[in-house]
Amino acid sequence: MDILRLITAGNVDDGKSTLIGRLLYDTKNIKDDVLESVAKPGSGATAINLAHITDGLRAEREQGITIDVAYKYFTTPNRKYIITDAPGHFQYTKNLVTGASGVDAIIILIDAVNGITPQTRRHSQVAAFLAIKNVVVAINKMDAQSYSEAVFTAIKNDYLTIADQLGLKNITFIPISALMGDNILEESPNMRWYAGTPLMAWLEQCMPNECNFSETRFSVQCTIPQLHEGNGLGYAGKLLSGALTVGQTLSIYPTGATATVAKILHGYNAVAAANAGDNVVVYLNNEGNIGRGALLCAGEKLNISNHLDVTICWLNDQQKLQPGKYYLLRINTTEQKCRIGNISGKLNLDTLTYEPNEEPVSVNDFIRATLILDAPIAFDPFENLPENGRGILIDVETNYTSAAFTISLRSVAPL
Amino acid sequence: MNHLDQLEAEAIYIFREVAGQFRRPVLLFSGGKDSTVLIHLAMKAFYPGKPPFPVMHIDTGHNFEEALTFRDKLVAQTGLELIVRKVADTIKAKNLTDATGKFPSRNALQSYTLLDAIDEFSFDACFGGGRRDEEKARAKERIFSIRAADGSWKPYNQRPELWNIYNGRIGSDDRAQAIAHTQNVRVFPISNWSELDVWRYIQREGIALPALYFAHTRRCIRYEGRLIAVSDYLNIDEQDELVTKKVRYRTVGDMTCTAAVESEAITIAEVIDEISASAISERGETRIDDRCSDAAMEDRKLKGYF
Repeated sequence: MDILRLITAGNVDDGKSTLIGRLLYDTKNIKDDVLESVAKPGSGATAINLAHITDGLRAEREQGITIDVAYKYFTTPNRKYIITDAPGHFQYTKNLVTGASGVDAIIILIDAVNGITPQTRRHSQVAAFLAIKNVVVAINKMDAQSYSEAVFTAIKNDYLTIADQLGLKNITFIPISALMGDNILEESPNMRWYAGTPLMAWLEQCMPNECNFSETRFSVQCTIPQLHEGNGLGYAGKLLSGALTVGQTLSIYPTGATATVAKILHGYNAVAAANAGDNVVVYLNNEGNIGRGALLCAGEKLNISNHLDVTICWLNDQQKLQPGKYYLLRINTTEQKCRIGNISGKLNLDTLTYEPNEEPVSVNDFIRATLILDAPIAFDPFENLPENGRGILIDVETNYTSAAFTISLRSVAPL
Repeated sequence: MNHLDQLEAEAIYIFREVAGQFRRPVLLFSGGKDSTVLIHLAMKAFYPGKPPFPVMHIDTGHNFEEALTFRDKLVAQTGLELIVRKVADTIKAKNLTDATGKFPSRNALQSYTLLDAIDEFSFDACFGGGRRDEEKARAKERIFSIRAADGSWKPYNQRPELWNIYNGRIGSDDRAQAIAHTQNVRVFPISNWSELDVWRYIQREGIALPALYFAHTRRCIRYEGRLIAVSDYLNIDEQDELVTKKVRYRTVGDMTCTAAVESEAITIAEVIDEISASAISERGETRIDDRCSDAAMEDRKLKGYF
């Protein structure tokens, strides 16, 4: 059994929470007492307020909207699903970005009655920004459109234009009714014209994110004090990519020193090698003065710079971006003070292009900009190794996570 | 990696983030299965060193004897420092009203004791065994959940939390000065685990648990279809139906608000089969306190609860 992380995104009332309720209900992942608490008079799935299963806060239930991300879980014999129900309202897009970060798949819901809305474009932009690999567009409420193929095809064609503008590829389109259960678990008898798989079958075959980058990157989280005389400090952290082997020579950043791997501990076991994704403790020969935030590397492609070309999503609804102000940048465990330099463009949601814009950058805005760091850091472009090419900006006065960014290839080869 | 490997890796990463970001963390330990798994994960995360934090039991005084015995044994085995702070002492010191009624649960009162202890020791991060699948308010919480100085949770203004970059910054840059009487962070390393994941992990890792998680004979009262253990803390009256049953516990909390389930399961494998077949959720079957209102957990959390 493996894990698939997925998110549902869609406009208010497109039926996200209903869809999640449906997935949980149809896969028999809702226990009787939970079902009872969301039941409406009547019987069967349609009499259950499926949306109430995910709206966990009082205000959400009272207002009938999703404000912040809720996490739900269900399992099939093949996999464990971690499903994020994210808000649809524009003002809560920042919460959607939280929920969408790190997922393997996104379900973008479109209401077949209303078609594509500005929020559809925004959610698709979030998918593009985070480079989510598996994208399915579920055209919902087909029951309200007489299960019409023409309606489905028209929305699909509209969406393909957006996808093209955003560079989203390999999109799957499925006509569904979350309320009635069409094309969720079973092929819908109401839409014989649809030749593809139901949503659940699509989810079951999705490939989770995996690391294709072969160079070694190990991010140090903390040191493990020595237990016995004679053992040096252990460096606990995560192998972001590549392999780590005993005897391997590594470059250490930011010190620039080199060292060889003396010993690797994975859990309680000493191992000869570790693989991408493993959390291990590394012991080095001739170690220098390193600690949290250090990056241990092997390979040719690492980049070191104090100027980063980035795409930023602004997440702070209390404060707009202040050019010239110092923010604390974090990539994995590495921290560095930085300022936001030249802003080359802000996303225009209508054209889906980045255009010059003098307006202040505020919550939910996407911009392209340069980050100017106080000292150089070691990084990889997001496209090569997402885990070493993305980060957050922290407002040092409020400690709020004010922005997320991804590092562009332009940081390496200016266009 | 299979799903248990992935969940373990995520939890270990979170433990090490806390060690890297905070000065005075503490692990909240009740003797229950979830916090026992936390201790196991912490030991693994910092091997061959020791976890760089103590464990703390917020003691309601309404304990299962087995849980206390187990607590002391595990602490002795691991060599971890144990801090115990008692709700009874807080009630006395703050002149609070003790829980009353038929089921005088001190569950909500624990928040006062916890917040006092956080102040007393200047703890800046508290690990908890909360899981998002337990309860709908918990399903909304971040892995690093920032709490205000008064312990309150602000569910409508949570920090964005992207990828596995956990922002645990609280106070100002002058950390040493800022730590006392400021925000604190609750950290939930097993947020993404289900009840079954916890049990399958316990099985795989051979983790010991208090005996009350397995079938045993116990004297109970039957109350609205639930079995509540007879104890000194329960107010039994003449109408109560007293029964002796083979039971086990799915959760372990304050004795007065935790119900037993009838069970024959005496091995981990049998427990797993039983949970898989159960039509009722973990908290739904065993917690009386969540049944008072639709938002009982949310209300407790707003006031500083785990």
